[in-house]
Amino acid sequence: MLARFSYDDRSAALLVLPVMAVLLVVAAFPILYSFWVSLHDIVLTRPLRRPFVGLENYWRMLGDARFHTAVLRTTVYTVVTVGVTTVLAVGVALLLNENFRGNKLLNTLLLLPWATPSIVNGLMWKWIYDPTYGLLNAVLLKLGLIEHYRAWLGDPDLTLLLISNAAIWKQMPLAALLLIVTMKAIPDDLYRAAKVDGATVVQRFVHVTLPALRPGLMLVLVYETMISIRHFDLFLIMTQGGPGDASYTLSWLIYVETFRSLRFGTGAALSYLLAMLTFLLSWLFIRAFGERNG
Amino acid sequence: MQRKLMLGFFSVLFVLYVAGPVLWLLSSSLQQESEITAVPPNWLPPNPGLHNFTAIFTAGDSAEYANRGLSGFLPSGAANLLPSLYNSLQVGLWVAVLNLVFALTAAYAIAVIDFRGRRATLYTVLATRVIPDIALVVPLFLVIRNLGLINSIGALVVTYLAVTLPFTVFILISYFEGIPRDLYRASRIDGCGHWGALRHVYLPLSLPALVAALMFAFLTSWNEFLFALVLTQSAAAQTLPIIIAGFVMDFTTSFSFVNAAGVIAILPPVLLAVLFQRYIVAGLTAGAVKG
Repeated sequence: MLARFSYDDRSAALLVLPVMAVLLVVAAFPILYSFWVSLHDIVLTRPLRRPFVGLENYWRMLGDARFHTAVLRTTVYTVVTVGVTTVLAVGVALLLNENFRGNKLLNTLLLLPWATPSIVNGLMWKWIYDPTYGLLNAVLLKLGLIEHYRAWLGDPDLTLLLISNAAIWKQMPLAALLLIVTMKAIPDDLYRAAKVDGATVVQRFVHVTLPALRPGLMLVLVYETMISIRHFDLFLIMTQGGPGDASYTLSWLIYVETFRSLRFGTGAALSYLLAMLTFLLSWLFIRAFGERNG
Repeated sequence: MQRKLMLGFFSVLFVLYVAGPVLWLLSSSLQQESEITAVPPNWLPPNPGLHNFTAIFTAGDSAEYANRGLSGFLPSGAANLLPSLYNSLQVGLWVAVLNLVFALTAAYAIAVIDFRGRRATLYTVLATRVIPDIALVVPLFLVIRNLGLINSIGALVVTYLAVTLPFTVFILISYFEGIPRDLYRASRIDGCGHWGALRHVYLPLSLPALVAALMFAFLTSWNEFLFALVLTQSAAAQTLPIIIAGFVMDFTTSFSFVNAAGVIAILPPVLLAVLFQRYIVAGLTAGAVKG
């Protein structure tokens, strides 16, 4: 029986077996099981009755007002986080791509936010935003930008942006690193030719750097969107969805539905909706940015 | 001259942005409770000291704890910090080591051997990372419970292994593909099987990728929060982020103490990142250019 397979096939099967076994038990099975759960009305406070309900969990969530709020909050958070991260990262990449003394030190510093655990990131910014002892109030007061201390995270109009700011701080370095690699691959000749043609710094950036950055930018956009749209840690540690529903995002809704209301069925359905949304967005980005590359 | 000024200006901005928040955390962690609650705040510690760190490392010592009384602002869970630090280290090291053992062979097979189902295998490995973590938490909880691993270090090791393996495999594949094919052919002609080629050619040549993979696996485990929150329930298995998050969400906890805990949690990953910067950057950007 084994003789039907070549030496290569048999070796490969043995060599990939351990990884496949782990992924099957701890990733693939839970993914499929989660789908099964999403098709059943499973509430942990009523463990014995778990009828099959088909897609009803999905329909119910799609019509739920909390879901609409969550989609809106997630969209705002994701757009702001991804947008600002990308713009900042382009700036940082331009700076670090230059040759100057101290460049090495700055490159090392860039890894600091990246290495910071997200929980510590949340703690750090919560402390900076602190209404009575925080750094933000002190700095803004000193600069004369505010007249008295404010409870920053308690302001529903600002909460989401402030959480976003913490996320941007942590996510910018990876985006910048990816862009720096792409920039280093741009041939110097292009810049020299543009200079000969009398292009200004800005023109060189718009007509040489930006087009060449396209693949890097696409990678950054897809990656940062995937991270932001499902982000959870900061929402738990900084605001728990509040104040009111000001930071009530999809991941937070899933958490509340599953672990506070113990409605596993609808929780799983929400998770799948989030996963589908992620797929859809990545596909759109890849289409929008990939095509003109040819 | 103008260029120099511009670079200097933006460099200062960059340093303030990236290092500022962490320096503020560090400064706060070196102050007493009465000092960090000053208005306006003390930018630098007036009497820098390690008392918050001492408090963390002696919180398990019950006599000391009782003596501190009300003045200490120590939360009741403070005694869990040191064990959680140990748990975090243990989980991180196990995940890092097992990652290499598992990923090496798989990456070799996918990168080097032309076998039936090679593409399917690669896509299966990568696809497991597309579903959001939060979607996996409930079924994973049930799987882990059926394996009898709930509230154990093993639960976290297995879970993080599944989380980190796809990336490790990916990094190693892109590195292996850069190793000249002739070396592989030569080793096969010399009588090596696949195991021999892996051991004598690919393993010794891929040290940078291995270091990068080790780092990522350790850092991911060290920083992970959501799975640990659901899969562990007591100090026996809880990791550092869980204990710290508990403090932050508890309004009675003093920030001086929590800030010190935060500094402790930041130190290992930052040190690793600085020491292995070259490998990490190379690993993070592997495949970025190829697309």
